[in-house]
Amino acid sequence: MRWLTLYLRSRRAPMALVATGGCAALMWSLWSAFSDSRDVGVQMVVLTVLLLVAALTATLGGPDDALEGTAGIAWPPRRIAHLLVAFLVVVVLLLVTLATGARFGPAWLVVRDAGGLLGLTALSATTIGTARAWFLPLGWTLAATLFPRSEPVIGRILTWQAQPPESTAATVTAGLLALGGLTAYAMTGPARRAPAEAAQQ
Amino acid sequence: MNRILGIELRRSAAPGSALVLLVVGVLLLFFAEGIAFATGWMQLAMTQRLYLALLWPLALAAGAWQARREHRSNVTELFASTPRPRAQRTVPTLGAMAVAVVCAYLAMGVAGGLWIIGTAEYLPASVFVVTAVGALALIAAAWLGLAIGRLLPRLVTAPALAVAGLALLLLIPGATRPRGWLALVFSPIYEMNMPGAYSTVPGRASVAQAAWLAALAGGAVLLFASSGWRVRVAALLPVVAGAALAVAVMPHQSRFVTDAIDPVARELVCAADEPPVCVSRVHSGLLSEVIPPAREGLAILAKLPGAPTRVHEDTTTYVPEGYPPWHEDVVLLEIEAGPNGHLLDADTAVTDVVAGAFASPPGCEKSAGLAERLAAAYWLIGREPVAGEANDPEDIAKAVELWRSLRQLPDDEAKARVAALRRAAVTCSVGEELTSSGTR
Repeated sequence: MRWLTLYLRSRRAPMALVATGGCAALMWSLWSAFSDSRDVGVQMVVLTVLLLVAALTATLGGPDDALEGTAGIAWPPRRIAHLLVAFLVVVVLLLVTLATGARFGPAWLVVRDAGGLLGLTALSATTIGTARAWFLPLGWTLAATLFPRSEPVIGRILTWQAQPPESTAATVTAGLLALGGLTAYAMTGPARRAPAEAAQQ
Repeated sequence: MNRILGIELRRSAAPGSALVLLVVGVLLLFFAEGIAFATGWMQLAMTQRLYLALLWPLALAAGAWQARREHRSNVTELFASTPRPRAQRTVPTLGAMAVAVVCAYLAMGVAGGLWIIGTAEYLPASVFVVTAVGALALIAAAWLGLAIGRLLPRLVTAPALAVAGLALLLLIPGATRPRGWLALVFSPIYEMNMPGAYSTVPGRASVAQAAWLAALAGGAVLLFASSGWRVRVAALLPVVAGAALAVAVMPHQSRFVTDAIDPVARELVCAADEPPVCVSRVHSGLLSEVIPPAREGLAILAKLPGAPTRVHEDTTTYVPEGYPPWHEDVVLLEIEAGPNGHLLDADTAVTDVVAGAFASPPGCEKSAGLAERLAAAYWLIGREPVAGEANDPEDIAKAVELWRSLRQLPDDEAKARVAALRRAAVTCSVGEELTSSGTR
């Protein structure tokens, strides 16, 4: 328990959780206030998932990742657990809204996008560092939500975030990104930076 | 100062931001919704403005990312202890980010320009104004990002700001309806989609947008360079003043840009030699491609008595309604540039010219149907009617049937009927000319 507390504190998890909850509440109240429809628009749902994932990105790295790596601790299971919990936080926060007046759904779209985007973020964190991990998910998702393409298949793959939930190509892409991110992050952890730079995520 | 600016240009987020904006911008131009800017420079400038929908939020994020640098490197306190005005440190950063986003935006325009440089000739001054307002919008976004990123130096600030920026751009039109001119003031992308051939952005709209964006950028500079709450509150002043000025300058009418027509772009430009072939100025680069099929069509039509002798571009605009002057000896031909900038439907241009001779003046109730026009045109050409891409198959079937019945007649009789159809179309009294011989 003590380890968990210290770990969460070193990852600034309380702050990130507050930010995540705040973002979800903000988006929820925005939709409740400004729309008559109960079902939230797809663009808004995708952007909300992106926002929540971005809010959790900071927890992927600690103050000194190189130092952490020297610890005699089995990191891979802990890193997998970290990503799974982050995924659950995003999904549960949004699925809870299905019972309220502004529904962030469909559920499968939320699950798919949360998994894919979290995987992509984790993949970025292992390659270019936690501080820059949001670059690719942000740019890709904004472009895909603005200009979704349903034809040809390559269009469905490149704009997977905004495809309807029944799209197989989008599901496969998201699945690959999620698996790739999970594996890469579990094996290597966040990219090592100079401690001075990594210290302030 | 210049030396520091040079270092900032190389070592800050500026080169990376410029590269990202350029790559994203070029990809958008060519792949997002097909190439919609091939007609000319104005269309390119307006399409670039439309894609600010994505570039603007990205510039916000780039600014916020750059503003977190001191915090990231843990030197905030160290820098605060130096006995130098804060402005001295902020100006090079502001300059570097502005140079980066402007260069990216202009380079994106150059990439689009290379695509159309061979066919686009009409270059009005407003193209530069529209582009300048777009660049100013990106500067304002980058500086606003810097200001907010400095106030909230968190990892999540930049992506959250980008999402908020995109949401803002998407929500402005809905939030200001039915006062569309308000959306035009505050959103640099509003009414920039699908520019027609004669589209333009009126100068007053650009001035109002520039006023608002300059005020926003000014407020962001104050906020970024500020060191106390007084200046931060004062940063609201230019923003409010700019908004008020922009709202005052912008004409209070909806669809102000959508309905704007550039009369100069719509004027006809004619080939020097006979027979005359004219296209609108915006299509003047296509004149050499239009002349051969137009003259071939006129030669085919010459068999008819009172045949038309000139081909003009059909410069009809539907919103607002405007028709080219009607002359009996002019065939109106619709001209459109394809995605490659060259004449769209070059294969059917001859047929279009011949069929255009059977068109009626605007507002005519008793004009010839498409099937009749095609049947008569193809009889003159001497081929069986074939379906164009946009045609209804039913019309084509009917045209083929009419064409066959014309072919079965003696040549003189058929020619007389076609000539009668032409006369009736021009005088707006089409009846059964092609199927009955009574109207000679």
